[in-house]
Amino acid sequence: MNKSPEPSLLKLWQCQPVEGIKMSADEIRKRSIKFERKIFWRNIREYVASGIATALFVWFFLGSHDTLFRAACALCIAGLAYMTYQLHRRASARAMPMNLGAANSLVFHRTELERQRDFIGNIWRWYLGPLVPGLAMFSLQSILAAHNHAMRAALVNSILVLSLALVWKLNAYEARCLQGRIDELKNAEQG
Amino acid sequence: MPAQQSTQDQLYEEAATSYGPALERLARAYEADVESRRDLLQEIHISVWRSFELFDQRCSMRTWIYRVAHNVASSHVLRDRRSKLQTLVGVEELDNVPWTKDDPDRRQALDRLLGLIQQLKPLDRNVILSYLEGLDAAEISEITGLKPGNIATKIHRIKGILARRFQGGNDNE
Repeated sequence: MNKSPEPSLLKLWQCQPVEGIKMSADEIRKRSIKFERKIFWRNIREYVASGIATALFVWFFLGSHDTLFRAACALCIAGLAYMTYQLHRRASARAMPMNLGAANSLVFHRTELERQRDFIGNIWRWYLGPLVPGLAMFSLQSILAAHNHAMRAALVNSILVLSLALVWKLNAYEARCLQGRIDELKNAEQG
Repeated sequence: MPAQQSTQDQLYEEAATSYGPALERLARAYEADVESRRDLLQEIHISVWRSFELFDQRCSMRTWIYRVAHNVASSHVLRDRRSKLQTLVGVEELDNVPWTKDDPDRRQALDRLLGLIQQLKPLDRNVILSYLEGLDAAEISEITGLKPGNIATKIHRIKGILARRFQGGNDNE
C-alpha cells in the first residue's frame, strides 16, 4: 500500500523558491501593446516570403513574351495572393482571446485542436488548390516548349505532382493524429 | 481612467499579489527553458489582465485565473511540442517514465518532480498542478472540465505514483 505523498510533496511544491516577478497594471498594459506589436511583425515576416515569390513571378511575367508562360505566372500570382490571405485569416499569430477564463481546459484544448485539424485538413482548399492552376499551366507550357526534351519535362512534372501528393498525405496524416487526440478529449468530457 | 479599466487594473493587481507565485510555479511546470519560461509567464500575466475585462464573477477569481493560466500554458505546449517533437504521456503512463536524476536532495527532488510533470499531456498536467497547489476535486473540475469522478481517479493514481517515486524509489530503476 502506498503512503500518501502529502503533505511533504505539496509543501515541496508550494514552498519552492520563486523569483517573485510582479508587474503593475500600467506595466502590463505597456507590455501588452509591445506584445501585440511583436505578433504583428512576426506575421509581417511570414508574409515577406510570399511577397518575394510574388515579385519573382511578376519579374518572370514582365520578362517573357510567351503567352502560356505569362498566363502561368499570372495564375501563380493570383494563387499566392489567395493563399496568403487564407494564411492570414486562418493561421496568423494573434494575442490570446479575452474570454480564456470562461472556457474550461477541456473545451479550450479541444477547440484549439479542432482549429488546427480544420486548418491542415482543408489544405487543398486554401494552400495546394490555389497553386494548382498556375503550376498546371507551367507544366503545359514546359511540355509544349520541350520539343526534343519531352522526357525531361515529363520527369519534372511528375516530381511536381508527387511533391503535391506528399504534402497532402503528410497533412492528412497529421489531421488524423489530431482527430485521435480530439476523440480522447471528447471521451474525457463525457467522463 | 475609465471605470471599467480601473476595475480591470484593480482585479489584476489583486490577482498578481495573491497568485503571482502560483503562476510562476505553473509556468515552471510548463516550460523548462528559462528564457521561454519568462516569455510564457509574461503571456500569462497579460492574458490574465486582458481576461478581467470579461470577468463576470460567475466563478471564483481563483478558478478564473487558473483557467486562463492553464489555457495559455497548454497552447504554449501545443505550439512548442510541434517544434521539439516531444512525446507527452498521460497520468496512466506516468509510472513508466524514468527519473532523470536520482539524488534525494530537496532541490533535486523538485527537479525530478518538475521533470515528471513536464512530460505530461496538458490536461493531466493541469490536474497534477492543481492538486499540488492544494485545490480540491470540485475546483479542479471547474478548471479542467473533467468530471469529479475522473479527477478523483487521476489524483488517486498521481498520489500512488508520487508516493512510490518519492518514498519507495522508482520501480523502473
